[in-house]
Amino acid sequence: MADSIVRMEHISKSFPGVKALDDVSFELRAGEVMALLGENGAGKSTLMKILSGIYTRDAGDIYLYGNKIDVLNSKVAKENGIAIIHQELNMCQHLTVAENMFLGREIGKGFLIDKGKMNEEAEKVLSSLHVDISPKTLVGNLPVSKQQMVEIAKALSVNARVLIMDEPTSALSSKEIDDLFVIIRNLRAAGCGIVYISHRLEELSHIVDRVTIMRDGHFISKGNFSDYTMDSIIADMVGREIKEKFPHVDCKPGKTIFEVRHLNAGRMVRDISLSVREGEIVGIAGLMGAGRTETTRAIFGIDPKESGQILVDGKEVTINKPIDAIKHGIVLAPEDRKKDGLCTKLPVKHNISLPNLDLLSDKIGKVSRGKEDKMTSDAISNFSIKVASPEVAVANLSGGNQQKVVVAKWLSRKSRIVIFDEPTRGIDVAAKVEIYNLMNQLKEEGIGVLFVSSEMPEIIGVSDRVIVMCDGRITGELMRGEATQEKILTLATHFENKFEEKGEEDGEN
Amino acid sequence: MEKTETKVSLKKRILSINGMGQVLTVSAGLVVLCIVFGIINPTFFSTRNIGNLLRQIAPFILIGIGQSYVLITGNIDLSIGSVIGMSTMLSATMMTKGVNPWAAVFITLVACLVVGVLNGYLVAGFSIPPFIATLGTMTIARGIAQIANGNYNTNSIGEAAEGFRNFFYYGKTLGIYNTFWIAIVIFLIFNFYLSKTKTGRHIYAVGSNINAAKLSGVSVTAVTIKVYVVSAFCAALTGFTQCASAGMGAMDAGNSYEMYAVAASVIGGVSTLGGQGILFGTVIGAAIWAVLQNGLQFAGAPVAIRNIVIGIIVIISVLIDIIVRGRAPKKGAHKKSK
Repeated sequence: MADSIVRMEHISKSFPGVKALDDVSFELRAGEVMALLGENGAGKSTLMKILSGIYTRDAGDIYLYGNKIDVLNSKVAKENGIAIIHQELNMCQHLTVAENMFLGREIGKGFLIDKGKMNEEAEKVLSSLHVDISPKTLVGNLPVSKQQMVEIAKALSVNARVLIMDEPTSALSSKEIDDLFVIIRNLRAAGCGIVYISHRLEELSHIVDRVTIMRDGHFISKGNFSDYTMDSIIADMVGREIKEKFPHVDCKPGKTIFEVRHLNAGRMVRDISLSVREGEIVGIAGLMGAGRTETTRAIFGIDPKESGQILVDGKEVTINKPIDAIKHGIVLAPEDRKKDGLCTKLPVKHNISLPNLDLLSDKIGKVSRGKEDKMTSDAISNFSIKVASPEVAVANLSGGNQQKVVVAKWLSRKSRIVIFDEPTRGIDVAAKVEIYNLMNQLKEEGIGVLFVSSEMPEIIGVSDRVIVMCDGRITGELMRGEATQEKILTLATHFENKFEEKGEEDGEN
Repeated sequence: MEKTETKVSLKKRILSINGMGQVLTVSAGLVVLCIVFGIINPTFFSTRNIGNLLRQIAPFILIGIGQSYVLITGNIDLSIGSVIGMSTMLSATMMTKGVNPWAAVFITLVACLVVGVLNGYLVAGFSIPPFIATLGTMTIARGIAQIANGNYNTNSIGEAAEGFRNFFYYGKTLGIYNTFWIAIVIFLIFNFYLSKTKTGRHIYAVGSNINAAKLSGVSVTAVTIKVYVVSAFCAALTGFTQCASAGMGAMDAGNSYEMYAVAASVIGGVSTLGGQGILFGTVIGAAIWAVLQNGLQFAGAPVAIRNIVIGIIVIISVLIDIIVRGRAPKKGAHKKSK
């Protein structure tokens, strides 16, 4: 019989002005993977932060291993083997793997550190996970996926028995996800309880045993994963049925408005030629590190190009800097909204107007308040961005709404070509559909859309044409209707022979 | 345009300015300080002292504005003090050699702006950390100040420079010293530039997220050069007021003013991490700095005690802000969760 190692009953938690959790119960058994699902703002993270002692509950009882716990702070949580792996990794980039794993509890005598012992201990934990990383490597030199493994190893080295994983796969490639799942299965077999938070519903079937679904701070349902269907999960999360997960609009594509010819830019962009027609969504599929983001960066003038031509409306244009691209009607909604997309300290208004100041200012460069207010309020209503006032700093918005600001700031000006790089990463189902609808709306207006995504179902569902990249080259092109996951995957792993001989190399930075 | 707005909406708009809350708190602190000094020594409020005080505030406003521009882009300018020295020495040397004072001012200004361009270019063009790049130019500019008159302070700049001295220091307009008016005019111009123009927005964007700014079509190099030029310009003006005040050039003029500029900015709510702050705050910060100097002197505190008290007050004022905004507990919790 499975014992429940965590029981949270009737938990409530309020923040000023918001009831984040209202009478929520949650249970986790030893040796299972429990998916905790819900839209952004459903209260998943709050609940898990209470479990890991970062927040304190207002009401409710918590039992760990059958014992009632009155005060649960982060120290008590740690002592009880509860570890949380955050979506954004908290590692010291300049320290080694072993030093990170033993940070704050270094092994040694007095104030001297016993490096050898630490490396040895770290090695033990890593090999128990079958992870091939040297404890002496600097964490900053590891790809994100490996850093995550180190984080898991760090949690295990303090005897964690409850592992909370918040969106662990959002930055990983398919192969890395497989590796992660192997580790999760090993942990489950070893009797750990794992709480798995993810927006990528497709991957749940590979590892999840049971499901708990929350919505708007309430508990909605729980049960064995096998008793649910994808549709019933989404219905519980959203509170209504989403008719079309991937809405598609049929448009007669017009003339070619955008062309890239033989573009070369570094190792990851090699001889790229592609074209987009008026009113067409062209998907760019591929594995992580296939060079898709690099291609969009080179087109947009962020990274230097070595050779190649870019044509807008049949005329060659020179793009050396992003501003050149913007002036020619090409815009890019970048992949990592915190890193590249937004100035989070600044108000929503200033973020939306930033790339459009040329349209909003007069000859001496004075920004017109009236025009700016109008642009912002139009954007907020068009994209239904949930925000108290345009003066609120972007940092205070939820992930989905932040993503909408990224899109809104680029669509507030007339453009010919809109490039979306992973626009739906880390946002919930309902917000995703809103982004797809938006892309369809652009398409109907006769704008060409380039859509980079790692999620195959959405790229197949939304695009009119799919271009597949592998290792910096285009390996194939599939029309809507002929694109299937298998075909895309075949093309996406179409490595050059030379490359295969060298062995597999993950070029992801 | 402004008059067509109703009073309420204007008030609301002012209050909604990012960072205005803190500036109002600091302003209240300034009022309290003045009252306390007034009680200790009533002559603090004499017309004569108020006039002097306003003139003392002026250089801190000038250098504060320059440093705030740089800080808001997430950089720092350590060369301010040396540029003041360079400005004083170059202009004074030329004047003692018989150059027309206004020609001397113009030539000096150009020389100082070159330092600003160099700072910006080193930081943005070559990605040299701003602390190091401006440490270098700080030393170079001080060297130029020393070499200007062959490693000696200058003699008196003489009768011919009377107009120059009055314009920058001794003259009054509407009963208030010109130095203060210069600072106010500079404040109005650069406040407009920062809060109302395209470049101003770019400055905040670069400080808040340099990648996002780049991708939004902002030329980071151009913006960085602009802020360092503004800083050098303000430092050059401050140098002229010092030269006019002393009637000669001193090689060590402006020593550690770059740090006073940081203090004025930070007290006024400008974040050293970039992206946050308004110039009105810097003006209040500059006023607090000068009032402390002046008030403590009036209260009869010796220089050593003054320094200690001012140091403590700088730390406390920033601490209060951190506590009020509740940033400190959050950061602490974050670290613990590691």
